[in-house]
Amino acid sequence: MIGRIVVNLKTFALCLACLLISCEGRPVKNGMLILSETPGNIKSDLLSGPSGRYFPGARISVIRPGKPDSHFILTEDFYSACQPAISFDGARMLFTAQKREEDTWQIWEMELDNIRSRKITSFSENCSDPAYLPDGRLVFSKLTINDTVKSAHCLFSCNPDGSDLRQITFSPVNYLSTIVLKDGRLLTFSWPLLNDRGEPMLTVMRPDGTKADKFCGGTGGSSLIGSLHETPDGKIVFTESTGGDPSVADLISVNYNRPLHTRINLTSQIKEEIAAVLPLSLNKFLISCRGSDSGKLELREFDPENKTIGQVIWSDPDYNILEAFIVRSTGRPKKLPSEVDLEVKTGLLLCQDINFLNQELTGKFSIAGKASRIEVLGVDTTYGIVQVEEDGSFQLKVMADTPFQIRTLDKDGNVVNGPCSWLWMRPNERRGCIGCHEDPEMVPDNIVSLAIRKSPVMIPVHITEVKEKIIELE
Amino acid sequence: MKTYLKILIPVGTLCILSAVFYSPYKRWASEHVNYITAVDDHPLKCGSCHLHMQKSGIISKIVNARYYSPFNLAVSKDGRNLYVVAEEGNALLVINTDKQKVSDKIEVGTRPHSVILSEDGRTAYVTNQWSDNVSVVDLNRFVVINTLKTGGGPAGLALSTDGRYLYTVNSFSSDLSIIDLSTSKEQKRLTAGNNPAGARINANGTLLYVTSRRTLSAPYGDTLRCELTIVNDRNQRVAERRDIKQAYMMENIAFTPSGDLALIPMIRPKNNVPTIQIERGWMMTNGITIIEQKPDGRTVQLLIDEPNAYYADPFGIVITPDSKRAFISCAGVDKITVIDIDSIRKLIEGSTDEELNMYSNHLGISSRFVIKRIPTGPNPKGLVLSPDGRKLYVAEHLGDRVAVINTESMETTGTIDLGGPDRITVARQGRRLLNNAGHTFQTQYSCYTCHPDTHEDGLVYNMASKDMGRNITNTQSLRNIGDTPPYKWNGKNQTVFKQDGMRFSTVLTRTEAFSYKDLDALSSYIMTGIPNPPNLQYNPDGELTEIQERGKMIFERTHDFNGNEIPVVNRCVTCHPAPYYTNKETTNVGTLAASDDSILFDTPHLNNIFASPPYLHDGRAATLEEIWTIHGKTEEHGAVNDLTKIQLNELVEYLKSLRDPDYEKHGNEIKYASFGKN
Amino acid sequence: MKKNLSKYLVVIFSLAVIILAGLIILKKPVKAEKPDKNENIALSGYYRNSSDGDPGNSATVIKEAKAMPVYGNWRNFTTLDGLPSDKAYAVRVDDGRVLVGTHDGLAVYENGKWETYTTEDGLAHNGVVSIDVSQLTGDVWIGTLGGLNRWSGGKFETFNQFNSGMPNDLVYNVFCYGNDIWVATGGGAGHYDTQTKQWEIFNEQNAPMHEPWTYALSAGDGKVWIAAWGAGVIEYNTETKHFRDYVDPDGFMEIDLQPDDGPIHDITTATSYGNGILWVSTYFGMSRYDGKNWNGYFDHDSGLASNFINFLRAEGPVVYVCSDNGLSTFNGETWVTYKKNDYDENGRAIITNGTEKKEVPLSPSISHNFIIGVDAADDVLWVATSKGVARGERIK
Repeated sequence: MIGRIVVNLKTFALCLACLLISCEGRPVKNGMLILSETPGNIKSDLLSGPSGRYFPGARISVIRPGKPDSHFILTEDFYSACQPAISFDGARMLFTAQKREEDTWQIWEMELDNIRSRKITSFSENCSDPAYLPDGRLVFSKLTINDTVKSAHCLFSCNPDGSDLRQITFSPVNYLSTIVLKDGRLLTFSWPLLNDRGEPMLTVMRPDGTKADKFCGGTGGSSLIGSLHETPDGKIVFTESTGGDPSVADLISVNYNRPLHTRINLTSQIKEEIAAVLPLSLNKFLISCRGSDSGKLELREFDPENKTIGQVIWSDPDYNILEAFIVRSTGRPKKLPSEVDLEVKTGLLLCQDINFLNQELTGKFSIAGKASRIEVLGVDTTYGIVQVEEDGSFQLKVMADTPFQIRTLDKDGNVVNGPCSWLWMRPNERRGCIGCHEDPEMVPDNIVSLAIRKSPVMIPVHITEVKEKIIELE
Repeated sequence: MKTYLKILIPVGTLCILSAVFYSPYKRWASEHVNYITAVDDHPLKCGSCHLHMQKSGIISKIVNARYYSPFNLAVSKDGRNLYVVAEEGNALLVINTDKQKVSDKIEVGTRPHSVILSEDGRTAYVTNQWSDNVSVVDLNRFVVINTLKTGGGPAGLALSTDGRYLYTVNSFSSDLSIIDLSTSKEQKRLTAGNNPAGARINANGTLLYVTSRRTLSAPYGDTLRCELTIVNDRNQRVAERRDIKQAYMMENIAFTPSGDLALIPMIRPKNNVPTIQIERGWMMTNGITIIEQKPDGRTVQLLIDEPNAYYADPFGIVITPDSKRAFISCAGVDKITVIDIDSIRKLIEGSTDEELNMYSNHLGISSRFVIKRIPTGPNPKGLVLSPDGRKLYVAEHLGDRVAVINTESMETTGTIDLGGPDRITVARQGRRLLNNAGHTFQTQYSCYTCHPDTHEDGLVYNMASKDMGRNITNTQSLRNIGDTPPYKWNGKNQTVFKQDGMRFSTVLTRTEAFSYKDLDALSSYIMTGIPNPPNLQYNPDGELTEIQERGKMIFERTHDFNGNEIPVVNRCVTCHPAPYYTNKETTNVGTLAASDDSILFDTPHLNNIFASPPYLHDGRAATLEEIWTIHGKTEEHGAVNDLTKIQLNELVEYLKSLRDPDYEKHGNEIKYASFGKN
Repeated sequence: MKKNLSKYLVVIFSLAVIILAGLIILKKPVKAEKPDKNENIALSGYYRNSSDGDPGNSATVIKEAKAMPVYGNWRNFTTLDGLPSDKAYAVRVDDGRVLVGTHDGLAVYENGKWETYTTEDGLAHNGVVSIDVSQLTGDVWIGTLGGLNRWSGGKFETFNQFNSGMPNDLVYNVFCYGNDIWVATGGGAGHYDTQTKQWEIFNEQNAPMHEPWTYALSAGDGKVWIAAWGAGVIEYNTETKHFRDYVDPDGFMEIDLQPDDGPIHDITTATSYGNGILWVSTYFGMSRYDGKNWNGYFDHDSGLASNFINFLRAEGPVVYVCSDNGLSTFNGETWVTYKKNDYDENGRAIITNGTEKKEVPLSPSISHNFIIGVDAADDVLWVATSKGVARGERIK
């Protein structure tokens, strides 16, 4: 009864606030900062990974920079709300929230000009990390539990009303904190569940889940905190906890044009603990860092040129500022076409030469023993061993949306290399690699591989034929 | 009251009629647009076709405009005058570099390509690619004082070290004319590579290097080889024909003044690899070929691309007098790539051949020597440095401007407007789109990359149809295809709207599809603005030779030489009727390969067919003769098996003579509204 | 009646053959009977190497040969020296290097070394039977038994009957004439214009030939002379595009009833044009045509080595004649014929002025008497034989 009165009072207060705010026009205007706040004391190691997605009692508020009085809460009628994502036109906001304490976390959308919210997803599992897609759909992470991915946060996309739900990642890997790059692809933090099957890294893929590939890796054992941001000058900035000490987090920048070799730690000389970043302009960032006095995460200015922390923009004695986002219209990323055809059951994978190994620009060549076969591994199973062609090439027709790994074997069945990180093929996806663990900056040789002169090998090998729709792509 | 009624009644009637007919009209209009565009999603925009698809006539003249399209440049020794070749203005423009204004305009031949100045600076030589000659311009009076005959499609040119001879690279006839300037006569003609373009004498003045654009003829799957022809400037004989492997579109060449290196912009295509993805450079890569200028000097290839970012269609190259920096115009991305040559020297010196071979396929290597990308206007082509090397002039081909760049700060300090139209017509916008890589994923390539000069690249691609390795197809020309639908080898696209629509982006560009506005512009340009060059090599005046006449008789015959009637389907003219020599139908010519999907082939148009080797849908015929001598054993591709070799030669010579019908009407001066002379 | 006439003809023909054979047999000992005549020359004229000096001997030889160049100091090259095959079909000197067509590829002699090029290098066929060099462009044109090659800048480009307008892949002879390349093939004569890239074919369908087989051709002064099997010499005027044929007026096979009436025989093996003179070879003798008159030459009435002539080449006033029994050189007055002894490496030069013959022993001699190709440049004579290539230097 009292709870209900409290709720009603909250609602009344919110309506009153809206009324008052609406007197001075739209409540959330361009240039305002959206803050993700959580109460209590939290440690950095709780900020990363799935544990860092759900903060009970978290809230989303808004503030006009330089006007502390303008701060007000947008998610007053939610028990918890965080991970805001602003639409490309700056008019709407996606976020993940619990209406009530006993609710699971679901994706919501708020109209910023009237702060009305509507629920988009309704699952029994938690959903998080929503982001708008250029085609009007949205992508988010959803806890998925089944035999293939075990228990992982897979990426899904759906219409703005929650309809036409499509799973787009299919490996036992957590995909969190997703953004859309200007080129239209998704950039997401991937966290393998089985540590012996790869390191945490930033993964890039098309919005339909095709062409998933490593964008850049972290330092050993590091993991992402907060959100990823792409700056107008082609940099990706994010905060990351180093593997050694989870309480220490740094602000990292990589170039879009060469992400594997342009990693810069912008806060290596700074002792303060960094939790999140928001690039406002080329020479002005906002960061969430822990205040020495309050012990809470505060919102402060940061100069990326001189790598110095500036004045406090906002702090709350009771709340940590997890992240900040600015309300503004950003250009819509490219709307990428999709080759996925759900009526097709398989995808094609071409490899030019399994013995072409990682050749870094140091010029030091790592040549392993000559491999002549590959083994395709599934989760807790093997899909079969395939003899490759004389030139080391193979072409596989793999059952779509099934995670697999590949390792190379010599003629005696000894493992030469691998296994590689988890792969999956979307229905009708075609992709290629030039070798095995090759330098990702290498392009293919302009050759006709022997494998494409033959029909592809079906995976799993025990399947002899798949009757499916024939697509003519050319 | 009556006046009131006089107005009210007709207005009312009009409103009622509009209300009644609006719905059926809209339905009819939608059906009409869907029928015309062959797609069901094109908006109702009458202007798309009724204004911007007009090749000639009043409407065409109104909606289109004539541009200069600067292509190549030269600068006077004192740096005061800049000479700009206006490709579509058919003129040589003189720019006063102090005033940064066009001071004079000299009319030259059709489609001028390049310009060089004599040693004394008094004479300019301008190659006229569509006139097969060179205009000799007196730079004191700014008048053409002589015209020198060349081979087919003169492009790049150079003067011999002693200044007595002019070399012109004939891009259409694939040879090199050597003209004695004392007699103004062509002394000899040397065979060059395939579709040569650039020419430059090396630093010590002993050898002329001629670069080729198209690769040498070879079966699909063979290593691509693009010829660099090296001619001895002393005895004017070919000293070497060097194959630059896996290269294509070697437009130009530059030598370091110190004489240690030669640099050639080029493309390394991936046509032998299935077109299954663009990511990781699986379609095209762009780079430079570096040739060490010493005995047993190495030939090295390095990419100028980066992971996730490609710099399509490298064209011009210049090197500063101190041999430290090279500037390359990347026409497809509107940028100048700046290269630190010392870094390249260091890289080559400290690398084994194996490492250098690996670098030729490495997207990260450019970080070692590319020091800046300078943005420019649309489609930067020719480059020239001021004599002191401090200023770089850039011909902004589709911007009708010349950009001025400070080579020290590597910043653009100004642009010089050539005085072309201020407005950008729809067709012009379409041309910009066709030449820009912004519509492919990560700007890896443009339409131009596979359709250089809006023609075709002579390459055969694995289009990876239902399985990889299937449907090997030869690139088709875009020249004057407006009246020859359907498109694509299997003729499945009835219109350009469909050809370049969503499917195009899904399979080829793999990025956001063209907006309707862009698609309209692109279609307008392709349908109206791409003329065929005159066929001066085989049919200069429309008068056929005796051999061609006999070939025409064979082409049009209804009975074989044994007196038997040839079935209609086996007659040449059945599928290839004038004026475009296509019946716009699909048919089986008996060349379906095991790796092809079961399809009929679109009947290609034959005008200027001599310029489109290799032939047949998968390029299996290296020459026109091979269509029948090797691949025409059945009569499905015409009844030819009764022909003697002499008669087959006559048929081939007639086919080579076929030229664009516009020339039959207007002679060799093309009359496209947005092109050519006023 | 007809039967009887044919019988008589056969008898006359047989008698003629016997008489001819008798004459040849009777003449041969004559040579053998006259060694002492030349002994003094033989002793004093026993020149080994022109550079060895002994001007007195050389002077005697020069005197005997009059205006004719005489070659000695023969050096022979075989597979032991680096030739791909001893069967040499053609030889051509090109700007300091020597190009030799052999049964197993193209051999190039440069800086004292032999380099071989085969189909692996881009040669159309390893049987290289003809070579010519364009003086205009420097490109080497190579006739093989499997097509025509342009060898330029180190790269071979192949023209054949499938990829071009070439008449046939059996290219017996190639001849460069300005911008034009002419080929004699098993399918007729072919003309390729290197500027227009156009081929023309001349055979029995459009030229006065009985069959398409052509053996050789040469050109000069706006005319091309095609040696056509069974059709004598076909003259093609490059200006008027008209043909004129020269055939053996008497039509007889082995004998020339009416001397100097035209080509010796309708089966011609080569033509060559130099200093306004057209030289024509057959398997039955050689002819000389100055534009007005024809002169016939046989081994029994001249210094010609043999009537069976494979090839000839005119260089200025001198014609070099390749036969099955030695090499003859002739300038219209004096013959110098080179023959190898049957049983050793030595041989002799036979200098013939009118009816007077003088023999000069050679040590060594040309490598073999079956000769198919020859070229002379810069006082050096190269000869392609069945046993390698022979190189002789002019005696001064």
